[in-house]
Amino acid sequence: MLKPYRVLDLSTERGLLCAQCLGDMGADVVKIEPPGGCDARKIAPFYNDDPHPDRSLYWWAYNRNKRSTTLNLDCQEGQVILRQLVRRADFLIESFNPGHLANRRLGFTDLSTVNPALIYVSITGFGQNGPKASYADSDLVIMAAGGPLILGGDADRAPVRLSVPQAYLHASADAAVAALAALHERCRSGLGQHIDVAAVQSVALATQAYILAEPLGSPEARRMSGGMKIGPLEIPFVWPAKDGFVVLAFLFGSAIGVFTRRFMHYLHEQGFCDEATGNKDWIKYGEMLSSGAEPLSEFERIKEIVRNFTRHHTKAHLLELAVERGFLMTPVTTIDEVVNSQQLTARDYFQRVEHPELNASFRYPGPFVKFSAAPIQYRYRPPTVGEHNQEIYCGELGMSNHELTKLSQNGIV
Amino acid sequence: MPDDRPLSDVKILDLMWVMAGPASTRILADYGATVVRIESPNRIDTARTLQPYLGNKLGSDSSGLFANCNAGKLGITLDLGNPAARAVIFDLVKWADVVTESFSPKAMRAWGFDYDQLRQVKPDIIMLSSCLMGQTGPIAKIAGYGNMAAAISGFHNLTGWPDRPPAGPFGAYTDYISPRFSAMAILAALDYRRRTGEGQYIDQSQSECSLHFLGPAILDYTVNGRVRVRAGNTDHAFAPHGVYPVAGEDKWIAIVCRTDDDWRRFCAAVGRDELTADSRYASIPSRLEHRETLDAVISEWSRTLEGLEIEHILQSRGIAAHRVQNSSDAYRDPQFLYREHFVDLNHPTLGTFMLEGPRAKLSRTPALVRRAAPFLGQDNQYVLAEILGYDEDKITELVSSGVLG
Repeated sequence: MLKPYRVLDLSTERGLLCAQCLGDMGADVVKIEPPGGCDARKIAPFYNDDPHPDRSLYWWAYNRNKRSTTLNLDCQEGQVILRQLVRRADFLIESFNPGHLANRRLGFTDLSTVNPALIYVSITGFGQNGPKASYADSDLVIMAAGGPLILGGDADRAPVRLSVPQAYLHASADAAVAALAALHERCRSGLGQHIDVAAVQSVALATQAYILAEPLGSPEARRMSGGMKIGPLEIPFVWPAKDGFVVLAFLFGSAIGVFTRRFMHYLHEQGFCDEATGNKDWIKYGEMLSSGAEPLSEFERIKEIVRNFTRHHTKAHLLELAVERGFLMTPVTTIDEVVNSQQLTARDYFQRVEHPELNASFRYPGPFVKFSAAPIQYRYRPPTVGEHNQEIYCGELGMSNHELTKLSQNGIV
Repeated sequence: MPDDRPLSDVKILDLMWVMAGPASTRILADYGATVVRIESPNRIDTARTLQPYLGNKLGSDSSGLFANCNAGKLGITLDLGNPAARAVIFDLVKWADVVTESFSPKAMRAWGFDYDQLRQVKPDIIMLSSCLMGQTGPIAKIAGYGNMAAAISGFHNLTGWPDRPPAGPFGAYTDYISPRFSAMAILAALDYRRRTGEGQYIDQSQSECSLHFLGPAILDYTVNGRVRVRAGNTDHAFAPHGVYPVAGEDKWIAIVCRTDDDWRRFCAAVGRDELTADSRYASIPSRLEHRETLDAVISEWSRTLEGLEIEHILQSRGIAAHRVQNSSDAYRDPQFLYREHFVDLNHPTLGTFMLEGPRAKLSRTPALVRRAAPFLGQDNQYVLAEILGYDEDKITELVSSGVLG
């Protein structure tokens, strides 16, 4: 899909997914790491719990379809080599602290002189400029600043994040979209540009527009475990099943209420509630609750009926019911259930990737979409540190083996 | 006004609804694409019914979520089940570069608008279908929302406290992930078409693309056989790493010490230098082991101070910390203001409507949101007359057929 394009990926943990998305879609991605390897290689978990730079599963998750070179950007020789690589690159992705590359004369203005068509993408926690641009950041801190954190978790405890870091993935995905928009524009103008992505803005999307509550004059959402609190109304999404939990959208209004009506009729049919309860006006039910026409105590009784029903059945059975009868219900799955699911197996989702350096192969999450014309392929497993130095430096830049050895001895590659 | 936004020459026929789909075409509209959004006159878009509401009042246009996902688009009403819709859709397909839809699978086929039929009308059309679980497979036809896709994809079970039921991420979590993948897939397909002349069909499972946000946890299972569970705010690599109470009701601060050096500076900042000599806190592994006593020490200190004060104390020493912001905080946050995250738009019937602006800053051809989300049928006349070139008679005929609602 993006075969003609070369991406230089200078990013750290903050930006790895961005270039991987472009690589998945066929771009030629060259990862540029400091000698010794990118810091993201130190992030757990590890293959067999061995904290080796080539065995970080975090690294594996976000660096396939890339080739790796090492280059010391802190010294002039390294900077000269990067400029050579920039000459024939279409994208450069970086996620250093603001100013880090500019201080090495590798900022956007420096490199766009070398290659005016270069699309230069910067991904940081808070953005390139502004009062908090130099703030120290981390996944948790970005989630706190950007709005999603306060909304998640149990009401009687501190707000809680997703246990697998998310913030920079949101930012990296936004950055990939912006990079391709800039590529589209470049076809008209012939010019590249600088793209500045702030993770704190990207994660605000995960408030489902609740970041707008104040300017819209609407009450803030209050967190509630497995659900959401709107005013005095406690709306659960997570319900108990016989063998775990399910998510059920038990909601009202002209759109979702139709599903709730169907669901409650079924509960009546199955003897979980009386006919009058099953036949309540589920479309207007939300308005009835907020006007007080329906007391909250009655809503509590209804929730107990629903709970009785879900608790009575297994997750698998509830999923079957949802598919057959059109209920808004899915199981809360564990990671092993996800990987072994019939749906993903039927769609051939997981891709086996060979790791010859370990004499083994492993299943990776598969293509993020299915393109009919040029499907995503996993061409390269995540590279070992500097695996492609010779290929790039000698094969492409025309260095001799001797020169490469010398650069390596001087700590440049 | 001349439009030099990156996608000003791109035309999208958008049949998506609720959040995951419309949020993706919102991004493309910000970058300049002309997006004609079809809405059913009979079946209301769920997003129009969801909070938060402008002025806290439910109305057909007052949903902040709908407004946020559909700003910058043209809106027309069309009853896809009405036979008269067929010719209009086909004319729009001829006009469009890209067609997007997010119904449950088979709906488009039932109406006669699946890819095979659309490409008869326009051979190089790019069509993207986005739904919870993809177009094929035993549970493909399940209808629903991002909360459900998130639960079945493992996100809920990985959010919350180990001693409690899963709290789940807030709202329809996969709806926040999949729009970016839809948008990048569409842009890549446009570039491919420019070079090869070929259109294509893109099958997007919101679950499958979102699973990349759990990549390391999935590999931990497929490689090591380990099933990750929710861990509160604990991180296996950092300590302290948590959310601590500060002065005020439901006010909190997130604090992360990423290195031993961070930890020493943290102790100095809170006036507890003696902690650096405490062997329980000497290294990250030992701090992780004693994180409960450590968290108690920090909470005791933090709960008497304002969140903003702690944020400044710690950030001035290079320690990652931020108060946990709600909408009221974020709306006044100097960084959000500097980045112009909140933009005021003029809504034709509701007056000023504040929304989130475009996210990425492009230096030469910036994104821009030009107008508020359309009310139902707002652009019927414009789309039919100006874009499709229908004359008055034809438009009158369509109106009387009831296809526009």
